[in-house]
Amino acid sequence: MAASVSHPALSSLYKINCNINGISGLISFSRKISVSSVLSTSAVTAKREAAGKGVRGQMKSRRPAGEPRAERMAVDQDWTAVYPTAASFKPSAVPLPVRMGYPVNRGVPPAKHGNLELIKIPNFLHLTPVAIKKHCEALKPFLTEWPSALDSAEKCTEHFPIQVQSKDFVSSGMSLRNPDARIVTLKVKLSSLNLDDHARKKMIKLAEKRYCKETDTLTIITDSCPLRQQNYDYAMYLLTVLYHESWKSEAWEEEKTRADMEEYEWQDSPSQRNILETLKGIRGTEETQELLDQPEVQEYRNSVTQMKNHGETEENLLRYKEAVKKLLQL
Amino acid sequence: MNLHKLSLRLRPAVTQKFRCLSIQSSGQELEAVAAETPSVEPNLLSVFRTSEQDPTCHSETHSGQYYTLPPTHIQKLFPHGLPPRFQMQVRTFNEGCVMVRPAALELISYLKKADYSKPPLRYILYGETGSGKSLSLCHTLHYCYTQGWLILHVPDAHLWVKNCKEMLPSTYNPSRFDQPVQATQWLKSFKITNEHFLSKIKTTRRYVWTKRESTEEGRPLGELVDQGVNRMKSSSDVVGAVLRELRLQAGAATEGEEVFKLAVAVDGVNALWGNTTLKKEDRTMCEPEELTLIHNLRKMMKTDWRGGAILTALSQTGSLFKPRSAYLPSELLGEDGFDQMEPFVPVCVSGYNEKEFESCYLYYLDRNWLQHPHSRSEEGKKELIFLSNRNPSILERLCAFL
Repeated sequence: MAASVSHPALSSLYKINCNINGISGLISFSRKISVSSVLSTSAVTAKREAAGKGVRGQMKSRRPAGEPRAERMAVDQDWTAVYPTAASFKPSAVPLPVRMGYPVNRGVPPAKHGNLELIKIPNFLHLTPVAIKKHCEALKPFLTEWPSALDSAEKCTEHFPIQVQSKDFVSSGMSLRNPDARIVTLKVKLSSLNLDDHARKKMIKLAEKRYCKETDTLTIITDSCPLRQQNYDYAMYLLTVLYHESWKSEAWEEEKTRADMEEYEWQDSPSQRNILETLKGIRGTEETQELLDQPEVQEYRNSVTQMKNHGETEENLLRYKEAVKKLLQL
Repeated sequence: MNLHKLSLRLRPAVTQKFRCLSIQSSGQELEAVAAETPSVEPNLLSVFRTSEQDPTCHSETHSGQYYTLPPTHIQKLFPHGLPPRFQMQVRTFNEGCVMVRPAALELISYLKKADYSKPPLRYILYGETGSGKSLSLCHTLHYCYTQGWLILHVPDAHLWVKNCKEMLPSTYNPSRFDQPVQATQWLKSFKITNEHFLSKIKTTRRYVWTKRESTEEGRPLGELVDQGVNRMKSSSDVVGAVLRELRLQAGAATEGEEVFKLAVAVDGVNALWGNTTLKKEDRTMCEPEELTLIHNLRKMMKTDWRGGAILTALSQTGSLFKPRSAYLPSELLGEDGFDQMEPFVPVCVSGYNEKEFESCYLYYLDRNWLQHPHSRSEEGKKELIFLSNRNPSILERLCAFL
């Protein structure tokens, strides 16, 4: 069985043996178990000799590997010298006993030596805090000082409300250029602009999706021009135009209907009319202004406004119910 | 087959109760007899049933208990008024038992406190699907009926905005459409409910139906209603005329007759401001405003009359083009409806609480409705709670299988 399994291997070995040693005794191999052991030892010698014969030149210069560099590292060594740039994981150069990979049955993750998983993943061994400090020191001659008056984020946003962002790309390839570098994002909070009520509502209507209600930020992203400088100028121009246009009032803006309103206004709404009619019906004649000034009516107004602006929920509805009950004296 | 056996089993128990009921409805002195019934049967009965049959006297202490609607009242008050599944239940159990629930009690308390010389107040029952809005409305209507009010009950306004086979252009106003079938049906129910009022109320002006037919001023309302029932073509306009008469005369005493109070009860009131599925002849969608019945009913919803109350319930089940999860008033009424119904008192109807669930379960057990042996055990009860989430209609449908 052993002989039959290793039959193709045997035949190749046989050929090698015949070629190299010219041993004809091996031609007749009997199907005995001892044959395999004999053959295996002869296989080893055959392989060594075969390798030696084929690539003898390279084998000569190969020295046995010395101890790994990690053994000889001091604790306070300069790590930036070991990993000055981004490089793949070298198990002999990293003195950490790292294990990575899926553990075999009832085993542990494989060790770092010859671990492909560790080599595949990107590492940041070249970006330790010490290395980054060195980078900063190297960059310092090219920088100016940060203004001392701007020591908090609030002060920065107060003095510089407009934030302009753009991306720079570094790559080595056929061309250094990246078309995404022309995109300019301009962010500004509307609260920092000088807008009155009408101007603010008009600006939000003009800006449509570019305005975020939660953060009160207007974001303008421009990418229609080929150069970053041009896109930046265009973004500033858009901001200027929006600002000035929202301050102007056109003649057709007078025709703004209830449906165009952004939020619900209780004054002159059907709700107000209804409640006044009902109250007049119940209490007889009373001045409209007096009725409106009463606290119950104020409460009713608040509950209705909240329901319409913030959507109807159970609590809103209960508040409304209480207000109505108080008004109608139930 | 099962129903037959069920009814055979129920008959001896029911006849006993019927005897008590028939005695009950005749007089108060026999309340003692009624009080006997709980003591005759085991204590279990008194837990979920109350002997108090008069809704006027229902209070918090009766909350969660069932009271029986007298069959004469059911026939008169609710010829088509009860929700269909409840009607089936009434027929199966041979009695109409309604649970006293906090929503209805709240409504009845408001009605008791209200001043009827002022314009009517609007109440809207809202809640999730199947939580018991229609039945609470019926309970309140029963109270109004026992107090002698005039009941104007529209069982489901959604039936008027969909599935109408016949739609005629209105004779009164050419831009509107009539629905003769629905109008006649409603007039018949109205006649049955308010028989004794029909001869007392008189018309205030002359109504001309066709060249040869007209109703003179001062004729009893019954004649007007008969006109509508007999002549289908003008029935929608008759409905309008009836509503107008009632509106004018509700709070005012007329010629020595005593003042009557008007209860306008509309179930599925969101149909009045929703969409319709009816098409005009040129295949465009009909607006609800263009239907005579809806137009007249909307006028009733306004508070320019006196001496009554407007009780309404929302309904998502029959509504058109509204999502299934919508149950809050402004969602179902829409902007227009909300503006017109304002100010209203919203009354929330929630699912059963623990006590109410217990009563319902015991009631079904008592009626032998729960046949499955497992349903009688504690575990079965827990399963029912879980499956139905204490929603009344889901519980009822589940138990129908058992």
